[in-house]
Amino acid sequence: MQGTLPRIAPRRRRGTGGRPLLLALVLVLLLPWRAFAQPVPPPVAPPAAPPALAAELSTNRIEVTTAFAGGEILVFGATERLIGQAGDEIIVLATGPATSLVVRRKIQVLGFWINGPSARFNRIPSFWVLAATRPVAEMLGEADREELRLGLDLLQLPQLGGREPSFRAALRELKQSSGLWVDQVRPVQVSGGRLFHARLPVPSTVRTGEYRVQVLLVRQRRVVARQELSLEIERVGSAARIADVAEDLPVLYAVASILLAAFAGWLGSVLFRRG
Amino acid sequence: MQVYLPIAEMSVDALLLLGIGFGVGWLSGLFGVGGGFLLTPVLILIGIPSAVAVGSGANQTLGASVSGLMAQWRRGNVDVRMGAVLLVGGFAGSAAGVQLFAWLRRAGQVDLAVAVFYIVVLGTVGALMVRESVGAILRRRKARPARLHEHLWIHGLPLKMRFRKSRLYISVIPPLLIGFAIGVLSAVMGVGGGFMLVPAMIYLLGMPTSVVIGTSLFQVVFVTANVTFLQAVQVGSVDIVLTMLLLAGGVIGAQFGAAMGTKLRGEETRALLGALVLAVAAALLWDMLRVPEQLFVIGPAV
Repeated sequence: MQGTLPRIAPRRRRGTGGRPLLLALVLVLLLPWRAFAQPVPPPVAPPAAPPALAAELSTNRIEVTTAFAGGEILVFGATERLIGQAGDEIIVLATGPATSLVVRRKIQVLGFWINGPSARFNRIPSFWVLAATRPVAEMLGEADREELRLGLDLLQLPQLGGREPSFRAALRELKQSSGLWVDQVRPVQVSGGRLFHARLPVPSTVRTGEYRVQVLLVRQRRVVARQELSLEIERVGSAARIADVAEDLPVLYAVASILLAAFAGWLGSVLFRRG
Repeated sequence: MQVYLPIAEMSVDALLLLGIGFGVGWLSGLFGVGGGFLLTPVLILIGIPSAVAVGSGANQTLGASVSGLMAQWRRGNVDVRMGAVLLVGGFAGSAAGVQLFAWLRRAGQVDLAVAVFYIVVLGTVGALMVRESVGAILRRRKARPARLHEHLWIHGLPLKMRFRKSRLYISVIPPLLIGFAIGVLSAVMGVGGGFMLVPAMIYLLGMPTSVVIGTSLFQVVFVTANVTFLQAVQVGSVDIVLTMLLLAGGVIGAQFGAAMGTKLRGEETRALLGALVLAVAAALLWDMLRVPEQLFVIGPAV
């Protein structure tokens, strides 16, 4: 079908008349060939074009229980064309809920190292992981990368307080060493030419909330398709109940903590005396 | 085995926490103190946020002191009247201390304040304990009798009150002030303050040693309960999962320590405790003086 389009276009430009004739001509030309190649489906309703990109998450919920020691977000999917340098390429970007942080620099006062000047960063992602089949800088132009913020160096980090750029650099470095910001450490894996999957590690210090996963399909240095997925990271079970009670009913939580600790201490001494 | 601490929002090895609880419990059983002064620094060392270490440390000290208080109570070694006076000061002090703590947290200086409090308090107390106990050991060698009762300027203050069990007739101002000071320290350092209260009662108030431990436990239990309450409500930094794990190890460790403690002489025990307190102070001091590995730290925006 695509092959016929260029043939039609020049003729349309040359003359306005004879369009029904032209269509009939094309149909006549096409019909026998299509019937020969695919005899079964009727030619009247051509099948919908397959999506260029189909991606999914293995789960849309990560549960933080009292045994939670970190997890991972598994993104997988398929492309229409073969994945590779000449064909399609995949970028996966996961971001967590926004947070505000203060970065402090230690200074030496009278020989002691204490927290000195600080800079505040408002509404920055608490979690940010980028993965791709190939380094993003190689597959997209600078302008596209900047617009989509594909790179830790392109992440907008509005800074209040200290003016020095060292605070921003320190924030990037500390977030990366804690595993909460990851810039293309492990590539998106490809299998069978058109299937891809990426495992994005989630450390145990992760914030709970709504997480967004963007999957971008890059073809010839342009983003041609994108898919937005989301998942929830939430506390469940006793961890959730404890945190909820501590937040919503602090007085009850405080009294319960006191009584529980006292009871545990008493129980311990009783148990030992018996033993 | 990793366990997720819901308030600290991080996962820690449960066996490590049980081990720390056991070690601190063992030492506290050996020396007859709550052990909070060791617990909070160790928790900070393994990466628990300072605020959670202090809040949960106070809660743990409460649990660890309850059984001791009950045992002393049964033996009639608690001077309730003295305890109540100390407690009035202690409640005021811990309330003031939690305010101070919340203010320090906003200013981003919790780490510094906790460290400085520890270095100053532990350094002073440790040095005094070592000096006193070494002196006692030397006196014992020389077999020179120590004076039974000393009269200090403290005994000349007004508002006198009779404390029958302690066989004292003194002003209520010194115990109120001592209680207040211990309350502040308890809130900022997450300790019960027994390691300071005991010497203060003996040397400043002149209380007989038989009622000192019981009365200090009385004060410690109620002040740590107050600190737990205020920290949980105002700062939101008490992690009950952390507390319970530490207590589980601590209760067992305390029994082993107490069994071993009976084999040691009083002066030697005090000298060892003093040395331990000094060692913790020295380690914290070193931590503040050396060039930090990370020049930058991330904190929550409060």
